[in-house]
Amino acid sequence: MTTARSCSSCGHFHNEPAAVEAAFAGLSSLSSAYAAVRASDGLCRLHERYITADSLCLGYAPRGATSTRQS
Amino acid sequence: MADIAHAEPGNAAKRALPAPISPWAQLLRQEDWWSIWIGLGLCAMAALLFANGGSLKWLAVAPQKWSQPTEVLAQFASNGSRYAALFFLWAVLFGLGLSALGIRLLKFLPGFALLFVTTGLLYFLGSWSQASHYNLEPPLVALALGLAVANSMGTPAWWLPALRVEFYIKTGIVLLGAGLPLTLIGWAGPVAIGQAAIVSLVTFGTIFMAAHRLGLDPRLAATLGTGGAVCGVSGAIAIGGAVGAKKQDVSIAISLVVGWAIVMIFVLPLAARSLHLATGVAGAWIGTSEFADAAGLAAAQSYGGYAGQVPGIAGTADAAVTAFTLMKVIGRDVWIGVWAFVLALIATTFWKPTGIERRAGVGEIWARFPKFVLGFLAASALITLFSRGVDYATYKHDLIPGLVAPLQALRTWAFTFAFLSIGLTTRFREFAAVGARPFYAFTLGVIVNVAVGYVLSTSVFGDFWSHL
Repeated sequence: MTTARSCSSCGHFHNEPAAVEAAFAGLSSLSSAYAAVRASDGLCRLHERYITADSLCLGYAPRGATSTRQS
Repeated sequence: MADIAHAEPGNAAKRALPAPISPWAQLLRQEDWWSIWIGLGLCAMAALLFANGGSLKWLAVAPQKWSQPTEVLAQFASNGSRYAALFFLWAVLFGLGLSALGIRLLKFLPGFALLFVTTGLLYFLGSWSQASHYNLEPPLVALALGLAVANSMGTPAWWLPALRVEFYIKTGIVLLGAGLPLTLIGWAGPVAIGQAAIVSLVTFGTIFMAAHRLGLDPRLAATLGTGGAVCGVSGAIAIGGAVGAKKQDVSIAISLVVGWAIVMIFVLPLAARSLHLATGVAGAWIGTSEFADAAGLAAAQSYGGYAGQVPGIAGTADAAVTAFTLMKVIGRDVWIGVWAFVLALIATTFWKPTGIERRAGVGEIWARFPKFVLGFLAASALITLFSRGVDYATYKHDLIPGLVAPLQALRTWAFTFAFLSIGLTTRFREFAAVGARPFYAFTLGVIVNVAVGYVLSTSVFGDFWSHL
């Protein structure tokens, strides 16, 4: 379950499939960022970790308030 | 968690969230579901046509055996419109699915046209009467050709949007279900699950313990372990996310899985061939010891091609693919959600905190469930239901050529799209440097996995798989 302050709404968090495939070389060779097994996981640019969208941390920044957001 | 909850109680907490994707919306937003709609839709169309005295076989064109180049030209001349129609069908179906996933149709179509033509040429090459003599199995040739292009001149960027390995392989697996009676899945499924459970636990334990002994982070160890033991790259990204692994650690796991999976595509069929394993036994071994569905299907389909061509290899071509699918898809893939839930629970409870908190919930099991497996089972159920009450002679003489064989031909097309795409998207120079310790831990797991898989497939359950 996501909350108002979970990573899913954080500007440091990027889970667009194209961005995830670009970040992990080889991912699309034998799997896919569009697959169900990935759920809504994404990359946290603040912690440089691959995390679930329902995670929480002290570095939360509303989307639009950070410079790591990709278009 | 309490600190986080009270850290910034300002207006940000009250702002509107992005609209969550509803479970219903996922039916159109995930590749797994689109593979079901396409695969199952084709099965339903084939059944409807057959029920009304027609067949999908005009559309499901495939090269026939040939020995002289003039015969190839003759096949093209007489079936040109069928190949054009098949291209149109695939382009519409895959284009529709990828558009829904956010990949623009105009970017997909040029690359897919080239993929279709190249796949057709490889399909023809595999139909050459001397293909087996020269080891020209289409999956291996497709893979080798793709690797050669990607790692020499480089795959053109405009081709990449059409190289969707997983989408093609999942669609092919759903179509594969149409050729397997539900009773066979029910009969062989428990054996596959039992064998897969043994090898998954042993392989995961080996990699995890070796990584622990080598001083690696437990999150990396778990990501490597599931990549080797459960479902390859998909396992690595699922567990990497569930336990909150470092980005670099997920990259390392992906590099190791892809590298070893490609080695195994060539090694396992050659080893099985030198051991003269029956196709069902070899398929089970490959299903136990390969890491990814696409890689394993390339190996299993190649080995199936030896049936009736290479002396000393018993069984049918389909037995290799069937045994592989039962072992890998039913035995291993479906459990990834359970692995994710358990490892997330362990990570949040026992491992050193990362500064990122989450609660592991049982919902993870369904969220990560590879939904395309449902399509595989549904396709099997549909054809099983359709053929209920039909006697064996009718099944063999009418249903197989009119209903099942066209779906098998479409499956081969989908798989070959995937095999070619594997090679074309695998650029080794772009892979993350893995370091010695992850390499040693994972490689030890590979060795144990192959050895245990061999013993289980040939000795413990050998009689079962040889009679598949």
